[in-house]
Amino acid sequence: MRRFVRMLAVTISSLPILVSTACHRAEMLRPLIIIIVPSQDNPFFKAEADAAATRAGALGYRVRVDAHDDDAYRQDNLIDAAIASNASAIILDNAGADSSISAVRRATLAGIPCFLIDREIEADGIAKAQIIADNDQGARIVAEEFVRGIGPQGGDYVELLGRESDTNAQVRTRAFHAVLDKQANMHRVAAQSANWSQAEAFQKTETMLQAHANVRGIIAGNDTMALGAAAAVKTSGLNGLVITGLDGSPDAIAAIRSGSLLATSLQPAVLIARLAVDEADRFLHTGRTGKPERQIIPCDLVTRQNADDYGDFEKLR
Amino acid sequence: MTNAIRSQHQPGRLAGLSVRTILFVLRARAVFVLIALLVFFSAMAPSFLTTNNFAILSKHVAISAILAIGMTFVVLTGGIDLSVGSLAGLGGMAAGYLLTQGILIAGAVHYPSVALAILITLVLCLTVGLLNGWLVANAGVAPFIATLGTLYIARGAALLISNGKTFPNLAGQEARGNTGFTLLGQSSFWGLPLPVWIMLALFACAWLISVKTPLGRHIYAVGGNERAACLAGIRVPRVKLFTYLASSFCAAIVGLIIASQLEAAHPATGESFELNAIAAVVLGGTSLMGGRGSIPGSLIGAFVIGVLSDGLVMLGVSEFWQMVIKGTVIVLAVAVDQLQSRLQARFLPYLQSAVPEGTE
Repeated sequence: MRRFVRMLAVTISSLPILVSTACHRAEMLRPLIIIIVPSQDNPFFKAEADAAATRAGALGYRVRVDAHDDDAYRQDNLIDAAIASNASAIILDNAGADSSISAVRRATLAGIPCFLIDREIEADGIAKAQIIADNDQGARIVAEEFVRGIGPQGGDYVELLGRESDTNAQVRTRAFHAVLDKQANMHRVAAQSANWSQAEAFQKTETMLQAHANVRGIIAGNDTMALGAAAAVKTSGLNGLVITGLDGSPDAIAAIRSGSLLATSLQPAVLIARLAVDEADRFLHTGRTGKPERQIIPCDLVTRQNADDYGDFEKLR
Repeated sequence: MTNAIRSQHQPGRLAGLSVRTILFVLRARAVFVLIALLVFFSAMAPSFLTTNNFAILSKHVAISAILAIGMTFVVLTGGIDLSVGSLAGLGGMAAGYLLTQGILIAGAVHYPSVALAILITLVLCLTVGLLNGWLVANAGVAPFIATLGTLYIARGAALLISNGKTFPNLAGQEARGNTGFTLLGQSSFWGLPLPVWIMLALFACAWLISVKTPLGRHIYAVGGNERAACLAGIRVPRVKLFTYLASSFCAAIVGLIIASQLEAAHPATGESFELNAIAAVVLGGTSLMGGRGSIPGSLIGAFVIGVLSDGLVMLGVSEFWQMVIKGTVIVLAVAVDQLQSRLQARFLPYLQSAVPEGTE
């Protein structure tokens, strides 16, 4: 008897859920695309996730956005959740070139095609597409602009590195030096990791400027660190230092307009996210994407001259 | 007890003076470590020993020192406050929101003045401190858990304020009448940056409270033996509440200073700051069990960590080694702390003018 009452109570209490499920049935029938990005508190990943979600919504998909916080274990759980929710496709900005392979393979084996954006994995033939910005080319063009900004007389410069365990930080600094080390009259007098963080870049720049008074430029591995360096330079009262970033965030572009940064290199995150959703859509309809798996999209150099042409990680004109 | 120790060890043979010297060196170890670091870096990095560099160094130290000052009160009562880093982030974001987005009153956007924005931020952070204090003192939640919860709540709230975005351009606009926020982190008086003066002022207040007021003595008493303090008529919950309020106040100040320095508020600001603050407190000789330690110790502890990290940056040491070295210093400091308290317990009965607990 008591058992019956309990069952009755459960049934009654779950009625609203059942009713609402029925109402959303039409909604639930639409195929689901799951978008997994590293974090939502970073303007870059947010722009990427928003662009993918908007495009997928416009193409008639249901969308869910998750963040793995650069944690491969958390990413694994999110992939499991995607399999459990019977997703049609996954758009993934992964948590590590090596540590993400098994997660992508698991989803693919479960019949969910994965489309990787922004970062690649060290394996071919598992993901349906790997669409990434050309970090190497992006870093080279900004380094060339940095050399132009310093001028023919050369001088000392310092470098702010990203989190040194990140593949992107390594690719970027290698590309910087492919350009900078050719300049006989430019010398890197100090280099520190500021872990992509503005506050850390601020403190470390202040300290490095103390140790090296004749620095003429600061080359940073991303825009947030460049903005931190610019704030430190402003506080120290120095003038005419050449500072460059990388990523093309709206804040950095505003700083380029105001002259506190010289240049950045814009990664077309919005374009990449849209391409991935379009290819996922094509794959779901025709069984093929019609493109090679690895697609490398070049970055754009943003300077004061063309700063007005760029918006939230995309070229407007 | 005393007889048992005497029969075992016979330390009376040692001259009281040398025992006292050893104990003094151990007790003031943070000062010696600081002096050693200063000498080392001055010798290794040519521009380390300049007034300008010391001004910048102390500005960097101010961030963790202010947090450590508030944290010391909490740790002295035997508690811990893990939420300070998140609270600093929340404080910066709240100020950033008020200065760039304004407040919607009756359909119109009003921009509060800088002073009002700072006041609202402080009140907001103190409310979280009040929650911490209430959870620990009245609801009986373990401090570690209560403040871990508010750590997540405050970080989440900071992210929610801007939906994850950064608030840039906190310099304010003439037309909105809210310029001047940048003075907080960027101005200097008599050669020292304002954040350093704020640190010194907070330090002076905290030190006076801890040694000169009944409240200060109550904090030590609660940490030393909560039950005894309660029986002696000390209102334990009220004392604990004060410590968490002090800690959250300091966190709010730090958040405001960082936002002002960068002219931007980022919701992830302050991640793992609580660990730096706890490290400074412990380096300064405050026991995590409560009842033993001091405010000046924490200030020196913060300087040790600050000198170490800035000095290593000036020498060009890589980030990975910096972490290893910092961790080693913290572990060694706590090991020496244990050694000191054991030696002190052994020798204290033979020292006529023993230093009372808590005033070291």
